[in-house]
Amino acid sequence: MPIVELHNVRKAYDTKVAVHGLSFKIEPGTMFGLLGPNGSGKTSSIRMMIGMTVPDAGSVSLFGQPFDRKLLNRVGYLPEERGLYKKMKVMDQLIFLGQLHGLDATVASKRAHIWCERMEITEAIPKKTEELSKGMQQKIQFIAALLHEPDLIIMDEPFSGLDPVNATLLQDTLVDLRKEGKAVLFSTHRMDQVEKLCDNIALISGGKLVLEGGMREVKSRYPRNRVQITFTGSDAFLQHPAIEEAKNYSGHAEIKLRPSSDNEADAQAVLTQALSMARISRFEVMEPTLEEIFIEAVGGKVDA
Amino acid sequence: MHNIWLIAKREYLERIRAKAFLVMTILIPVLMGGLIYGSAIINGTRNNSSHIAVVTPDAKFGADLQSELQSDKDRKFTVDVISPATATTRVTLNSQLADKGLDGYLWVSPAGPGKTRPTFEWVPKSKADVVTKGNIAQAVRTVLTRERLAHSGMGASDVDALLEPIDLDSSQTGKSDSAIAAVGVAYAGFFLMYLVIVQYCMNVGRSILEDKTSRVFEILLVSVKPYELMAGKVIGVGSVGLTQVGIWLTVAAITTQFGLISSGSSIAVTAPQLLFFIVFFLLGFTLYSSIASALAAMTSSQQELQQMNTFLMLPIIACSAIIFRVITDSDGTIATVFSFIPFCSPLIMYTRIAVHQPPAWQIALAIADLILTTLAILWFAARIYRVGILMYGKRPNLPEILRWLKYS
Repeated sequence: MPIVELHNVRKAYDTKVAVHGLSFKIEPGTMFGLLGPNGSGKTSSIRMMIGMTVPDAGSVSLFGQPFDRKLLNRVGYLPEERGLYKKMKVMDQLIFLGQLHGLDATVASKRAHIWCERMEITEAIPKKTEELSKGMQQKIQFIAALLHEPDLIIMDEPFSGLDPVNATLLQDTLVDLRKEGKAVLFSTHRMDQVEKLCDNIALISGGKLVLEGGMREVKSRYPRNRVQITFTGSDAFLQHPAIEEAKNYSGHAEIKLRPSSDNEADAQAVLTQALSMARISRFEVMEPTLEEIFIEAVGGKVDA
Repeated sequence: MHNIWLIAKREYLERIRAKAFLVMTILIPVLMGGLIYGSAIINGTRNNSSHIAVVTPDAKFGADLQSELQSDKDRKFTVDVISPATATTRVTLNSQLADKGLDGYLWVSPAGPGKTRPTFEWVPKSKADVVTKGNIAQAVRTVLTRERLAHSGMGASDVDALLEPIDLDSSQTGKSDSAIAAVGVAYAGFFLMYLVIVQYCMNVGRSILEDKTSRVFEILLVSVKPYELMAGKVIGVGSVGLTQVGIWLTVAAITTQFGLISSGSSIAVTAPQLLFFIVFFLLGFTLYSSIASALAAMTSSQQELQQMNTFLMLPIIACSAIIFRVITDSDGTIATVFSFIPFCSPLIMYTRIAVHQPPAWQIALAIADLILTTLAILWFAARIYRVGILMYGKRPNLPEILRWLKYS
């Protein structure tokens, strides 16, 4: 039973169509990446999943049932634009938000303390929100979205504005939650994170679905025609006839091979020639990166 | 319902705990009290005694006028009688006026040919001193009347009895012991309601805009419906207003009870008056704050909200422009008509009730149309609010707002 299912969903604001016949589903225990350029309809789609707006056409179902506000007690949401009550103390704030999700004040307080320890922000507990750094506020909001132990976690750009240490902490937490069988949906522009974390992706552009499926499966649709070589010595091997395009970042070359029936063989040929004139410390044959897939799929249609 | 309660509670506690609440609660009565007592003191001390001169060829008239003026209980007159005038009198008096030893002089010229009355010339130090001028005119009239009556053969005691001041007793007309007290209550209630409605509607708007610009709404809207948010805000902020009024009234009741403030006549507020005050305050506040909510949801910055609030305040300002008319003529056409206009009826109908109980059907009609209007406004406001709080950037124009009403 899918946790979320969008079926032919459409939403227009005045004359602008934000979402155009979008369908996808998210299974429990998976991490789902919702990708797309700015203004492609990601936030609009998310808002319909959590009932903030109602689709003009099509249907949204949560936990196998047609959308109902009562089901939202099982959803945790981190909006793209972060916002908390500035004058409120951190603990009061977490308890308040927990209560709005139907938690008892004592339960909310207990869980909030556990989470603050886990996110390493116990020193922030007695402070007012406005006294905290941006990263800390983001962690507080992250906790607020998880306090009621939701089965579906929706996060709009969860990693933006976090330093690498905190971003990793957040990533690890999301991975743990997936292990517990929760479904996680997040939207982002950071393709490296999506590649690392997501089981399934949906790429939307101009409110339409461009690409969808399992991470491995989507990538296997593309030929393994990318070669990365780290080397010292002459870069003359980059002139090899099998190479269509090469970029050399001072000792790290990213190569795109010409289309052919056997890219693997071409790659080996390039390697042989490189070995004859340089020392190779790394050599990898791969599919295009998600970033390249993204740029190719969206084409020149980025309109934001 | 639970969510409304949670939001109202949060809003209420945050505001009650804020220093601004404490400052306002103390400062406003202090300022108002200071203004009233301060102006009373200033008015009381000013010109409590006057020094004037009377120049007349008729020595008896001069003496009579002197004793008449000196019998004034409210002011202390020092009257010099100069009779008759010499050639230098006017020059001397003018120089006395200039060095401020004299507040004015009355120059009486005897009735000339073709005139039955002498002419009176009043030369004051300050032309703005109309009070002294009025006192003197009054005194001259009394003295002349007395003279004429005595001249026509009336005994001195009869004249005194005739000219005795008349006491207009209005205490029998109403149950309250003083009509002035009723007017005082009406004024106090009007300005209290005016102040609190204006203040707290602005607060509702500001609070909503704050949550919108800080994007707190985004996180709340997963668990709370827009109308619950709006209701929570209005109830929370409104309760703070009621708390403030409650504190003021309690303190006022205690201080008058123990005679800490001697108010002259007792300002008694009857139970029905208090009840109507609360009813009209609640309805008026709901009406105005729901408009304020919609306005705040439409805007994206405090400056824009400030501009919009001007429109909101117009009917309230109109009420304060006619309030004198309403109090002096509480059953007149203007008062009656305005008390049925929903945007004015909380203030005007309350004031009418405080001055003089209008017919029951009028009160019922005012409350009924106020409730209906409030419900209609709430419906519109909730819809605009729901869409508006998620819209940023450019202020919507009218067609856009009309489309918002149709969104689901």
